[in-house]
Amino acid sequence: MATKRVAICAVAQHKNEPDLWYRRFQNMLLDVLEDLQEKTGFTYGENGVEMIVSTSDDFFDARTISNNGVTDVIGGQYLAEEKMAQEGLNAIGYANSIILSGHKDLVLIMGHCKESQGESRNMITNCGFDPFYGRATGLDYLNAAGLQAQAYMRKSSLTDDQLAEIVVRSRQWAAKNPYANAREAVPAGKVKASPMLCDPIRQLHAYPVSDGAVGLLLASEERAKEFTDKPVWITGFANCMDTFFFGDRDLTSNFALKKATANACRRAGIQDLKKAADVVEVMDCYAYQQPMWMEGLGFCGDGEGGRFVAEGGPGKYRVNLSGGTLAGNPLIISGLYRAAEATLQLQGGAGDRQVPDAKCAVAHSTNGPAGQFHSVLILEA
Amino acid sequence: MAEFFGTTVADIFNTMPKRFKPEASKGVDVVIGYDCGGEGGGKWKLTVKDQVAKVETVEGDLGPCTATIIASDAETFIGVTLQKIGAIDALSQGKMKVVGDTRMLMTLLPQIFVQYTVPEKKTEVTARGILSAIGERFRPDKAAGVTLKYGYDLTGEGGGQFTITIADGTCTLKEGLDSDLAVKMTMEAVTYVGMMTGTIDGAAAFTSGKVRIDGDMMAAAATGKYFDKYVDPNAEEAEELLSLKVVTSINQRFATGPVMGKWFAGLREKKFLASVCPLCKRTLILPQEICQFCHVRTKEYVELGPEGYVTNFDLVYFASPDPLSGEVRDTPYACAWIMLEGATPEEGFAFEIKREDLPKLKIGSRVRPVWAEKPSGSFRDILHFEIID
Repeated sequence: MATKRVAICAVAQHKNEPDLWYRRFQNMLLDVLEDLQEKTGFTYGENGVEMIVSTSDDFFDARTISNNGVTDVIGGQYLAEEKMAQEGLNAIGYANSIILSGHKDLVLIMGHCKESQGESRNMITNCGFDPFYGRATGLDYLNAAGLQAQAYMRKSSLTDDQLAEIVVRSRQWAAKNPYANAREAVPAGKVKASPMLCDPIRQLHAYPVSDGAVGLLLASEERAKEFTDKPVWITGFANCMDTFFFGDRDLTSNFALKKATANACRRAGIQDLKKAADVVEVMDCYAYQQPMWMEGLGFCGDGEGGRFVAEGGPGKYRVNLSGGTLAGNPLIISGLYRAAEATLQLQGGAGDRQVPDAKCAVAHSTNGPAGQFHSVLILEA
Repeated sequence: MAEFFGTTVADIFNTMPKRFKPEASKGVDVVIGYDCGGEGGGKWKLTVKDQVAKVETVEGDLGPCTATIIASDAETFIGVTLQKIGAIDALSQGKMKVVGDTRMLMTLLPQIFVQYTVPEKKTEVTARGILSAIGERFRPDKAAGVTLKYGYDLTGEGGGQFTITIADGTCTLKEGLDSDLAVKMTMEAVTYVGMMTGTIDGAAAFTSGKVRIDGDMMAAAATGKYFDKYVDPNAEEAEELLSLKVVTSINQRFATGPVMGKWFAGLREKKFLASVCPLCKRTLILPQEICQFCHVRTKEYVELGPEGYVTNFDLVYFASPDPLSGEVRDTPYACAWIMLEGATPEEGFAFEIKREDLPKLKIGSRVRPVWAEKPSGSFRDILHFEIID
């Protein structure tokens, strides 16, 4: 019999850092693993963890089958281990399916990424494009986002002042998050005077290069109580892919995110996400993306992102109280950090960021240039 | 000279100065030696310095070179140059060897030279050839009712004098210039060939004085329309399919971390340090953060060896370039598993065996490491293991 619900029992996060040149990612994962074991007391093997889903990016790790560099450390010896290479949030979707199917009742998720290891994050994301055309035209995730930002700011009347406001707010919340990378306050003037990377994206509009690692323990409803007295339930998960070729996309349509949101809400039985959600964590690699993804999640109408920010939407809907990706998480596991913060909020463990009596949280992630692929996870206490 | 794939080794070197790209060779200062064995082979030396490429044939010793490419035969050398034979295949089969930095060569040469291509063996197109077949291109339907006699006075190499007569729906050609021509066109034979094959524009040739027209200009202009267009037999019709060759290269800085760092620090002192599992007591070499069997952190370190014995080995007859250093090992080499003194069972350490010792290598051979003169904390510190007699 398949179980009815799947719980996130516990999360553990490595503090995000700009350049952990002296640590292997194995060291980072081991710290996270031990933290998670301390919180839950889980063991490996029979009646313990027999299935691990890791998350890593081969290009950032500079090795093929990048999970084989970490399986020993995360306890994969003689057990089942699989890799999620798409984006970390999907590891939760995958583990959810494994448990719902009755295949396993306990799954460990471990993700890592060191963006500082490669000489250039942009050179790595350039390799996300096809070798003939996209790479040759110099596209990478940053300048792809620049094109999207141009189009989106026109459509949604988002201003440079508002971009600065988003960054300032991100830092204010990040200061309360012990796991965030960029935690020092910045005034709006400094944001607006920071170097232009790719018009309209300035340096402080972009998330800083980050190294990090995240772990989560997921269990079936029957077994969750062995590991926690505050299970957080996965009630909805969905993802959606937009077309690979950049030129085929309407960069401001949020097509994939809208579809992923609708599917996740349907599974969770939620009619209106903005009424249901107490906390929202979106993967905002660049400041303009925060209101844009909030549009896609349905918290404001199409083209209303500028007004959403002007009317204090991010505060009203408790968006990115972790500081968000803007405060620094690496790609590939940013979604796991979003889910970790959402879980902490629902468990009442979010410290100075805690939203009183939070019952429902949304975690969002994206991968591919300019939000090609989106995932939406709905969690409930 | 022996020809393979339609060309010779000498052709490849003779065209090098023409194929050289000075602007792409800024700051390049290399001497590359080439030693190609077998029939049609030889020795050459390429010197690139101050954006100048010098190619010379060498008798005897090549002398000091930054890198040397050694091919077993001309077929291999030409095949690799033309990319008909994969360089990596040739290297791993031992048909080609590189002394020096292979990766540097593989990156540098395509950068500073235009890729060599075999010159096409073209059918020679001559003015006389074009004219002698003019009857085949004649179109009686276009020339109905036309009577015209015109001449070509073609000067220079391959030239001659010709008279073409169009009358009664026929076209005839004869050598020499008749006296009753409607128009006479004088030009160099190569100009005529160029105009017919499409490399020279007829109007431009006339205005620039390359063609002189005596007589009826209108008649001269009309001559073209009585004939089908001349088709150059050398013109390419086949569709060209391209492939893209790129090197994906992003510099990396790999952390060793405190545990792996211990290992490299040990090498500097000519020591093999293993970490020890506190539960099962196995010695992990290379040291790891965790014993993956016991799921427990390792904390203690123990020195192993330096002597040991061979438990398994394999002779390797191919060798690919090391992607980190670009170097290619000499083949055959032995990939040997060594139990260092003090290691727990099954905790082998793999390394190369001294080449001279390969004939006497067997399971159980006792070996010891041979260290570099000044160990610096890298795997280069161990040159190889040698057999203790």
